Amino acid sequence: MITILLIPVVTAIICYLLKGHRLTGYVSMAGSLLLALASIPVIRDAFSSGISEAGLLYMDGLSAYIMSLVIFLGIASAIYSIHYIDHELHVGLIDKDGIRRYYGLFHLFVFTMLLVTVSNNLALMWIAIEATTIVSAVLIGLGYTKRPMAIEAAWKYIILCTVGITFALLGTFITYYASISVRGTEGILNWTELRKVAPGLNPSTMKLAFIFVLVGYGTKAGLAPLHNWLPDAHSEAPSPISALLSGILLNTAFYGIMRFLSIVEPSTGSLFTGNLLILFGLISTGISSVFILVQENYKRLLAYSSIEHMGIISLGTGIGGPFALYGALLHILNHSIAKPLMFFASGMIQAHYGSTRIDRVKGVLSRLPFLGTLTFLGALSLAGSPPFNIFISEFTIFKAGADKGLWPVVGAFLVFVVVVFYGILSGFSRILFGNSETETQGLRIEGSGAVLQRFVMFVMAAVVLILGIWIPDFIDSAIWSGVRSILGEGVR
Amino acid sequence: MKNWIEVFSIVDFVSVGILLTAVALNGMRRLESSVKAYAVNSWLLSALIGIVAFMIGESHLYAASLVTFISKGVVIPIFLRKIVREMKVTHEVEPYISNALSLTISGLLVAIVYASLKEGIFITGFSRNVLQISLAVILIGLFTMITRRKAITQVIGLLFMENGLFLAGFSLTYGMPMIIELGVLFDMLMGIIILGIFAVQIKRAFASSDLDKLTILKG
Repeated sequence: MITILLIPVVTAIICYLLKGHRLTGYVSMAGSLLLALASIPVIRDAFSSGISEAGLLYMDGLSAYIMSLVIFLGIASAIYSIHYIDHELHVGLIDKDGIRRYYGLFHLFVFTMLLVTVSNNLALMWIAIEATTIVSAVLIGLGYTKRPMAIEAAWKYIILCTVGITFALLGTFITYYASISVRGTEGILNWTELRKVAPGLNPSTMKLAFIFVLVGYGTKAGLAPLHNWLPDAHSEAPSPISALLSGILLNTAFYGIMRFLSIVEPSTGSLFTGNLLILFGLISTGISSVFILVQENYKRLLAYSSIEHMGIISLGTGIGGPFALYGALLHILNHSIAKPLMFFASGMIQAHYGSTRIDRVKGVLSRLPFLGTLTFLGALSLAGSPPFNIFISEFTIFKAGADKGLWPVVGAFLVFVVVVFYGILSGFSRILFGNSETETQGLRIEGSGAVLQRFVMFVMAAVVLILGIWIPDFIDSAIWSGVRSILGEGVR
Repeated sequence: MKNWIEVFSIVDFVSVGILLTAVALNGMRRLESSVKAYAVNSWLLSALIGIVAFMIGESHLYAASLVTFISKGVVIPIFLRKIVREMKVTHEVEPYISNALSLTISGLLVAIVYASLKEGIFITGFSRNVLQISLAVILIGLFTMITRRKAITQVIGLLFMENGLFLAGFSLTYGMPMIIELGVLFDMLMGIIILGIFAVQIKRAFASSDLDKLTILKG
């Protein structure tokens, strides 16, 4: 487990020290591939039974699940970055020093997210989540010499998330306090031990703690009404970073909430936590559906779609029970493949057309057939149309809600999802169809970087399509293992 | 000696000092005085931890007190003062609401906290007042962040919030394990440094240190 944490740090240092920018890109790719190789045996062990190390680290099904997503997206983004950064350098948005800093911080960012998934200690998890904020804020504001918007976005991001996450620390303190009154002497923060004493924790104290934690990590996970930083940060960050932010950072923050859930629920009962999560889910989906309709910028549109999907995940977690949680975890996987694909595509469209405004971009499908097709597939999937993967997980969650008799909630969600469906498809059809009057800047498409970039997007689009039709056994058992670690043993 | 601390309720005195520095922040216009208010606040926090360490005889709390003093009482104030001088902004010009009003409101916030925590679900070990005071400091810090225009004042509001948070955590649990405290402080330090860098960048890019100018991104 320690090796897994060390590899990205070492890669970050090497990338920062290297001189040639092409070379740095390939080293960073090799680093993330090596990380994947090293992590495979550990992740496989963790899926079958929990493993702990050094007192502070622990892995079980849920951590292994989120960790494999971090690693997978790390590889995808590292590969995509090579050509993207090449292009940024070409048009003068970034300089040589900026590239070294970019790759160094990129791997540090991956490291902090991995640390979130393996920490057993609730306060260590808080430290790691706060560290993700700090590192990614620098990544967002990286191009600041050329674009003042990037500074604005990074400022909003770091201020809002730090204030939010301060409340999560207060929640962690309160949990520690509650554990002291159970144990009598020393308090505990390791959640494996907390879960053993969870039924004995004082319910009203734990309610207070959960509210603080939900507000704190909810800010980071992009749940409305605390989402204001998200569209700015996602639209101004470099596209590979937007993909990481949206695809996996939101999920690591939500992972924090899930961890607390398994401690709080035995003490307060699932009605309290479930209702809060459903409420936040409803607000997020509702607000984002309105903003998606009026959006004039396709990267911001994708950002609001992230808020919508986090709302759906929150709904699934709030409904509770094995099947809703299965749906929520599957939705995490589906969203974190489809959304980065779209951010990758939008990065390329932006490079071709030089704009992120919907009315400046036309005819992507006729001008760039390969990219256009992938964008079209991704947009259909994000909108939740069958036979793509997101349809399956949304359907699972709604089915679980209907089985529990939560008709008003499911009804409201269906309305919002339909609005989002229209919003996303109408936004992207304006980009994809029609004839382009504006001249494209002409992206340099030679070089192995460009081939790799296309390859990684093709693979992701294929995954989006395949997961909509068939969920392979290893993913199925991984998700069940994650569900077990939220609910406790004894589920299937 | 221990008796002496209790007779003169030193703990209460120090924590009231923490509250007063937070309230005083609302009456300040010069940015450098706000930084000083923060430094004094941190010294008092560190002193409080030290006194309680002496009272209950916990040796690891002395280390916590020392670390707090160095990071929050020395390093961060010096860094902030450097940023303030570099930006050449000395005063908070036209806050959204007048200083008199914001002093009144922060007084009200203290009253609200005391009124709502009267019953006290928390029984703290060493004082009845510390938890109330810490929550009041958190709220005052948040209030400062909302009502001031300058980027640096927002950072100072955030720092006051975090001091209040540390005080709350300390009064609930006598502090976290040392490694955790160090990690939290390290994160905070990094965060402040990066915020400082961005504050300077905002000044350069927008030719102003007022956050009102950050209005390109909306909707």
